Amino acid sequence: MTEKKKGKLTKVLDYLKHEDPFSKGVAFCPGCGLELLLRFIPQVLGNDIVITGTPSCSAPVLLGQNNQSWHTLSYFGTLMTGAAANATGLARYYRKAGIKNTVVCFNGDGTAADIGFGNLSGAAERNEPFIYICYDNEGYMNTGIQKSGTTPYGATTTTTPLGSASKGKNLRRMNLGLKMAMHKIPYAATATLSDLEDLAKKLLKAKEAKERGFAFLHIFAPCTTGWGYAPENTIEVCRRAVKTNYFPLWEAVNGKIRMTKTVKKPQPVSTYTELIKKFAHLNEADLQILQDDIDYEYCMLGGLSVLEGECQLPVSSED
Amino acid sequence: MKPKTQDKTKPGSQIEVITGNAAAAIGAKLARPDVVAAYPITPQTEIIEQISKFHADGEMDCELITVEGENSAMNAVTAACLAGGRVFTASSSWGLVFMYDAILATAGARAPVVMVNVNRETPGIIAVSCGQQDMISTRDAGWIFLIAEDCQEILDLVLQAYRLAEDYDIQVPVMVHYDGFYLSYLSEGVNVPFQEDADRFLSVLNDQPQRTKLVPGGKLGCGTHGILGGYLELRYKHVSAMERSKAKFEEIDKEFQEIFGRSYGGQIEEYRMDDADVVLVGSGSMCGTIKAVIDEKRDAGVKVGLLKIRMYRPFPGEVMVAALKGKKAIGVVDRSLCFGFKGGPIYTELKAFETQLGGSKMMSFIDGIANTDITKANVEQMIDLTCDLAEGKDVREVTWVSYPEAQEPDSEKPDSEKRGGL
Repeated sequence: MTEKKKGKLTKVLDYLKHEDPFSKGVAFCPGCGLELLLRFIPQVLGNDIVITGTPSCSAPVLLGQNNQSWHTLSYFGTLMTGAAANATGLARYYRKAGIKNTVVCFNGDGTAADIGFGNLSGAAERNEPFIYICYDNEGYMNTGIQKSGTTPYGATTTTTPLGSASKGKNLRRMNLGLKMAMHKIPYAATATLSDLEDLAKKLLKAKEAKERGFAFLHIFAPCTTGWGYAPENTIEVCRRAVKTNYFPLWEAVNGKIRMTKTVKKPQPVSTYTELIKKFAHLNEADLQILQDDIDYEYCMLGGLSVLEGECQLPVSSED
Repeated sequence: MKPKTQDKTKPGSQIEVITGNAAAAIGAKLARPDVVAAYPITPQTEIIEQISKFHADGEMDCELITVEGENSAMNAVTAACLAGGRVFTASSSWGLVFMYDAILATAGARAPVVMVNVNRETPGIIAVSCGQQDMISTRDAGWIFLIAEDCQEILDLVLQAYRLAEDYDIQVPVMVHYDGFYLSYLSEGVNVPFQEDADRFLSVLNDQPQRTKLVPGGKLGCGTHGILGGYLELRYKHVSAMERSKAKFEEIDKEFQEIFGRSYGGQIEEYRMDDADVVLVGSGSMCGTIKAVIDEKRDAGVKVGLLKIRMYRPFPGEVMVAALKGKKAIGVVDRSLCFGFKGGPIYTELKAFETQLGGSKMMSFIDGIANTDITKANVEQMIDLTCDLAEGKDVREVTWVSYPEAQEPDSEKPDSEKRGGL
């Protein structure tokens, strides 16, 4: 990495080496986590990335309409069903033609965790040379807030509404990041918008790792409109998600898990849920179910990181 | 797969005894694709096995993506194609319909993908058998559809498909269809072109302007959300390119003949049509049998000919009308169904041109579904019935040749009624 050799990067701004390729005003809601993320990525990775996206909240800005788009990146609007397969096709052709490239397959959780998971898993299994980023806003926000596989327990959506027989989603969320790390790909990590330096480092590591194969980033990107919190609270929601271990920050190199941020005294999940309307109806017992799920997942993550640290995996690690 | 003999009588080729699937694989290999996506399905699997072996032996310098499903196969080759690559994939039946959303996107993006579809039945009774229902179910996806009659034509059409798809004035994906089982596993002598001749045939594309490509840092995109006028413009241009592909296919057929010595006639092939009074319209492997029966009927003094459809999308209406105009009666053989019209899909489409045919009478034959052989006896029956129609005899509009029960008077009634009520 040429950026690294110039000197140690200490501040977030030092990572923003490239122009923001997006127009100053774009068609996102005020306080949109997705927009912040979308602007951040090319400033770190460079404007020469090829970014692919699907029908989603990102579509109007990322993919544009007719001949117009809100940015100057090279982009490809793909189907939700085959997002990773399309990125595979691009990356493989560029490799064949000897064209230097960074393909970023940028999708929401609907594509990554639900309808497009099969081909995401397939691309990871084949160790395809590109970066897959899932911005997780825990549901189908663009179609009007429906439940997805990453929607947490208790959250209300328009397909898990409150009612006399319903308290919101009655199932636990899937752990997409961990599922991808279990593919033993060169790089998998979680990140969020409250820890931008951590995010920037992980983007650069992903770029480096895609020279060896598949890189996956699971990025927590809250939705002010769909979740019901004040637009100015986007970063605070992210911060509390980390501090409660609702969304722990870790990375996995070839499947070996390492925490990149350890929370000394994790706060109860209520300090996170209290900001967000989709959890407003949950009573203490309901919150305990959510808390138990967080604790269980964190325990599993901790166990894996210890285990992976102690065991020598039969794959080469360069980290 | 090393050539054993060289046929000096045919220019630029060597004879090998190979299956239809091998012919498709060799056709793809001769086109030197950059990216190939491979996923197995009966009766196509042999194609991707062959290509995998070519790749493993270093005979094919391509990126081989062993995808986890057909949907990904089509998505991967489409993206690689839009990035600038020459691509290939193959499928059949359920595999084709599993990539249905993707093939619509491929056509809409005007990505010049070339693929082979080995025709196989699709409906609920899992029919591992031949039929063209997969082709019919995807007919208006926006692809150019070509249909091969034998193993030689499979190889030749795959090569021609690249010239057609990637032509600067066309830029539409092309699907080469051939009958599963009857052709996929049939071994016969095939003139396999020399690589240098295949290269020469395809080199025309190198002299054309480069198509727009998706390149890193190119500040260009594709797959935007088209609405209103922008969308209409793209759709109209797509329709126009499809229309242009008709004449382009004829041109390519002539250039192919100059290099390889084989010509098929372009959009349709006319067999003993000049003085024919009655005509059968068919496509695919059935045409070999039909030609054999026509020869026998001609010996017996029956003036019968065959119109073989080689290009099914866009529908070759103009050349079909020119060839069929003034014929006394036309029998259309369909290896698939379309609901609500009673007759087969190709019959139904040809009916749209009825007023231009100068009074030709038409009838529909449904046969060859789910590996029911279209035998010489079946073809003879079709010709006889078409002759009856020409003579003004009272014949049914639609005949299920291998299912005589369909001709019984109450065959359309529900079972409950036949049993005497619910």
